[in-house]
Amino acid sequence: MTAPSLIAVAGPCGSGKTTWISQHLDDRTRPLFYLDPGLGNISVDLAKIGYRFPWVQVILEQQAQFTLSTLPDGAVVYVELGFHMDLGSLFLGGLPCHRVTVLPPSLQDSEWHNWADEVVPGCAIAVLDAAKLPELWCTPLTGRVFDPPSLDDILIELTKGAYGHVHRVKGIFELPGGRAFYVDFVEGLPGIEYTELNLPRWLDGRPERFSGIEVVGGNLDQDVIAQTLLDGCLSDEAIAHYQEQYKAYPNLDSVTDGETDSEKEMFA
Amino acid sequence: MKLAVMSCIHGNYEALNAVLCDIDAQKADRIYCLGDLVGYGPHPNAVVELIRSLDIPTCQGCWDEDIVDGLNACECSYPSQLAEKRGRMAHEWTNKVIHPEVREYLATLPMTLRLDNLCFVHGSPNSQHEYLLPSMDGFAALERVLSADAEVLFCGHTHVPYVRNLEDCDLRVRVQQPSKNESENQFRVPLKRIVNAGSVGEPRHGRPNATYVVYDTDTTQVTLREVPYDYEKTCADIIEKGLPPIFAWRLARGMEFAERADDPSHVCQR
Repeated sequence: MTAPSLIAVAGPCGSGKTTWISQHLDDRTRPLFYLDPGLGNISVDLAKIGYRFPWVQVILEQQAQFTLSTLPDGAVVYVELGFHMDLGSLFLGGLPCHRVTVLPPSLQDSEWHNWADEVVPGCAIAVLDAAKLPELWCTPLTGRVFDPPSLDDILIELTKGAYGHVHRVKGIFELPGGRAFYVDFVEGLPGIEYTELNLPRWLDGRPERFSGIEVVGGNLDQDVIAQTLLDGCLSDEAIAHYQEQYKAYPNLDSVTDGETDSEKEMFA
Repeated sequence: MKLAVMSCIHGNYEALNAVLCDIDAQKADRIYCLGDLVGYGPHPNAVVELIRSLDIPTCQGCWDEDIVDGLNACECSYPSQLAEKRGRMAHEWTNKVIHPEVREYLATLPMTLRLDNLCFVHGSPNSQHEYLLPSMDGFAALERVLSADAEVLFCGHTHVPYVRNLEDCDLRVRVQQPSKNESENQFRVPLKRIVNAGSVGEPRHGRPNATYVVYDTDTTQVTLREVPYDYEKTCADIIEKGLPPIFAWRLARGMEFAERADDPSHVCQR
């Protein structure tokens, strides 16, 4: 019998916590679990991990206590603690766990250092002032399909500060060809990263799988962001039109397929 | 003779004033305007009144035409759904505030203006809505200049200034007629030029500065001028007049409000 392992991962926003966890999710020799507490069921990371690693069991927040108390032998549970979570969170409770913090190399002394058993070097980002916790705005977008050039404009405006100071954006967006993309932006790092998710094309009506967005920043004009996102979404008629086109011509966007198989940067 | 050619003012009175001052400093003999006096910006009536008071020969731009005839855009007018929505908001606002006499004046503007071997249009000789992008196919570009019967074709509409020389162009024409032998003619076209004046009031070159061109008819030299102005005043007026604040944010960054052509092979269907 091998006792379950709990690995808690914390660090500043955009330091690379999810990336570090993802590096350990290819090991299928043990049952793998992932928990991202604090955002209910609209966590982009939770959905992304579920899409990219279908063998990993993502734990919904309301099921966490039960799942953690009934873990199978040898299970490994990764608990990602976002910047909005208290490092003394009850989620960890009395469970024994290994504490990992992913930190920018320039950060030498912090509450994360005091908390962690292991420090992992992450992205070279600027750490926000802990005394001024940034806003976190998130919304599900399930069923929404975006007009691609509109989405480009929205993301450029959002990340360049048109709707308030933005430190981090991550999202999952559905596009007309039935493909879904993970979008990642961290202030101070170059560009906006688009990664196609390895999911079946959704070509029958509005997608019913999760998509959504999380924005971290300050003075966010949340109503305008929400309205601008809606303005970039396609109507039922437009979605149906595109889906008919893609059904009739499955290789319609094959020119770009090669580019989207792996992570690529669309904006310099 | 020195000509100042400007385009795409888009209701930006501050930018127009700054450009007119710069034209004075350049000692231009005549001024031509390639249209789009209105749309997006907060002062459409004041811009038209200033152009009229100075008696500046002006072509009709696509926005001017839309205010006269209503929206009837080809797909090239808007590159995205978001841009279309914003464009429609700007059109509706402008349509509401425009003075009747200003609308009447816009209706009188010609599609093209000529001065000797120079032709002035807003978009292309075919349409105020057609974009002559710098990456447009060479043959198509030459066709547009030849159809205008000009040596130099001045245009705007793209909001990014450029000069394109069409030189060493050989054309071969094959004519087939019933009951006649096929004939083929080949001729060389002398240097032709497309000069895009950029935009006074809605630049899209990454800076808020207004652009226009000075053309010397004696030397054929083209000078692109970039003119700083108090864009923050225009941004404040955009917000004060109730136009979408995103217009001010984009203007301050030289990003243009909404319209942007991106397909050099597209032939406008309007």
